[in-house]
Amino acid sequence: MTNKQIKKPIWQKPWHFTETILIVVGIYLVGMVLQLSVGTFKFSNLAWPLNIIIGGSGIVLILLLSLRKQSSFFQWLSGVPFSVTLIAALIIQTIIMGITPQLAGALTHKPTVFDTLGFTRMTSSWPFILIYFFTILALTAAILNRLRIPKWRDYAFYLNHIGLLIFLFASGFGASDMKRYVMYVEENAEMPEWRVYSENKDVLELPIAISLKDFIMEEYAPKLTIIGRESGKSIPEKDPAYFQLADKKTDIEIEGWTIKVDSFIMDAVRNSDKSYREIHMPGSCPAALVTVQEKATGKKISGWVCCGNYAQLYMPLMISDKYSLVMTRPEAKRFASDIEVVAASGEKVSTTLEVNKPLKMGNWTIYQYGYDNDAGKASNYSSFELVYDPWLNAVYFGIILCALGSLCLFWIGNKKRKERNND
Amino acid sequence: MISWDHFNWFAGVTLGCWTVSFVNILLNKKILWAQVFTAIGFISYGLFIALLWINLERPPMRTMGETRLWYSFFLVLVGYITYAKWQYKWMLSYSLFVAMIFVIVNILKPEIHSKNLMPALQSIWFVPHVTAYILSYAILGAATIVGLKQLYQYDENDKLIDFTDNLVYIGFGLLMLGMLMGAVWAKAAWGHYWSWDPKETWAFVTAAAYLFYIHIRWNNHYRKTALWMLVIAFICLMITWKGVNYLPSAKNSVHVYGQQ
Ligand code: HEM
Repeated sequence: MTNKQIKKPIWQKPWHFTETILIVVGIYLVGMVLQLSVGTFKFSNLAWPLNIIIGGSGIVLILLLSLRKQSSFFQWLSGVPFSVTLIAALIIQTIIMGITPQLAGALTHKPTVFDTLGFTRMTSSWPFILIYFFTILALTAAILNRLRIPKWRDYAFYLNHIGLLIFLFASGFGASDMKRYVMYVEENAEMPEWRVYSENKDVLELPIAISLKDFIMEEYAPKLTIIGRESGKSIPEKDPAYFQLADKKTDIEIEGWTIKVDSFIMDAVRNSDKSYREIHMPGSCPAALVTVQEKATGKKISGWVCCGNYAQLYMPLMISDKYSLVMTRPEAKRFASDIEVVAASGEKVSTTLEVNKPLKMGNWTIYQYGYDNDAGKASNYSSFELVYDPWLNAVYFGIILCALGSLCLFWIGNKKRKERNND
Repeated sequence: MISWDHFNWFAGVTLGCWTVSFVNILLNKKILWAQVFTAIGFISYGLFIALLWINLERPPMRTMGETRLWYSFFLVLVGYITYAKWQYKWMLSYSLFVAMIFVIVNILKPEIHSKNLMPALQSIWFVPHVTAYILSYAILGAATIVGLKQLYQYDENDKLIDFTDNLVYIGFGLLMLGMLMGAVWAKAAWGHYWSWDPKETWAFVTAAAYLFYIHIRWNNHYRKTALWMLVIAFICLMITWKGVNYLPSAKNSVHVYGQQ
């Protein structure tokens, strides 16, 4: 019965795509009216327990509807046309969002048409929120519809849809309860730090205090490159060449120059005579002794180059009146903080925090955030991001179900569909 | 005691066997021998992982090289299961091929971390996240080609649609896995599992477009609409992968890595 349906008057049940599209456009327009009259949706207004009340009652409502036998309205709500049209609405809105630059903080300019329509803050615009809400309702309905006659062979459907429902609910409604702060902690301060900055840069005090015992940083060896003395740009300009220094000594070639690294010191300090020696101390800096030869003329120049830092001078090597050989600042390889965290409850944890290795304490998660970029290794403070998210475990649970469901997609394929067609 | 020093022996056996199966799949209709050799190579590789695990006294999942081990291992496993279920020889040969590339990378560069990886990128999720995406892109690309052929020579009874559905299911499954792993990783690195960064927004659009395909195809309906959506979805996919960098919305994207 692919495209050959018998024509029925519009709005007569069962509703199909024509009615559904009109309804979804209606939902969108209601959202737009709200957007234009009330303004951007504020997630904080939905904080606990309002989120669970609104979201929960939506789901309970669908549950009650599903108990009625042969409700054609429920059939529509749980059917493919509604979900496909909602997905299409999400696609259109996220495409607009993917093209329009999104704003993060408060509006600083006079609102443009895009701002007023909510396009520049798509995820907090009323039409988006309403479509999201109805997607949750449709998803719930689809799950309940299948659950009337539960079948083991529907496992992939359940994993995907229940997983997604939990994820959407916890990440969307849960966003209202999420709090996010940044804390700056000085090394070996007398008192642990408990003051944080909110996203609007307000200072607050938290029930969690952190003291920083040590800030640890490892850097990659820096790179050598040749720059035009006037432009300051690396050559060749189209595809700049960088050479990573390493323990092994090799000759390098860049555009008609050969460069030989005679010695390379990662922690170097300058002597009075422009040479460098190895000293491990705060403020030491990478330096290399190099010999550069211009291939065309055979002319050789040698000398020290150093990338410089807050304590030491930057040292280029002039290799002609147009070009210099320079060393780039080393990039961070790893940074970590040796910390002790004390919660108001008295719980104490000592750990080394680093990027990709956060610390979870109850509903709080603490992340390594940053450090004093100018001082680099010698930074005497470290900053942390503290995120409060009571819905996190639910989000992860949803993710795990979805991941299992995705694995099932490898083999369920369209076999089921054929079985169904034979029903 | 087994350590990385012995890797080349096990990997050599694996590569030899998998090359035989790969060639066998390309040349022959019946692929019994290919299956046998896939299994031998798989066992050799699995054995190395198990022995390394025992020796290290921790699961070998910490460094890049170690995660690449698992990648090849699982890829061939998934490829074989898919073959066993659907008789898709291409799936088996494709996964053998990609798995071998990763074995070779581990032979040439078994180092702990590739150089100058910024701290946020140093994660066990890096390899599986990226490879799930790349694999899914390849499969969805194949689906687009098969879809275009059907649009060009449209026939309501074309059996190719079943093949297309299967490709989309598999490709979408991998796409979702890549996205979910990305979310878990982003949470650990930046504290947000989803921040609607332009690249993430387009990844969402792409996934939603394939979701549209899957749902509108339910019960074998709307062949033509679905095929058109397949083309649109692939355009979105290309924007996610390559195009985002050129959009005005991506000026501050954290996923557009600077060149140096
Ligand atoms: C990760 C996301 C999703 C995946 C992987 C997914 C996958 C699937 C699959 C594979 C089917 C076919 C089931 C079968 O083989 O029997 C299906 C059916 C369906 N899905 Fe989804 N889906 C997802 C999201 C959604 C969403 C967001 C909605 C609703 C807004 C939805 C509503 C439906 C409906 C109504 C059906 C028809 C099932 C029935 O009538 O019993 N799905 N989905």
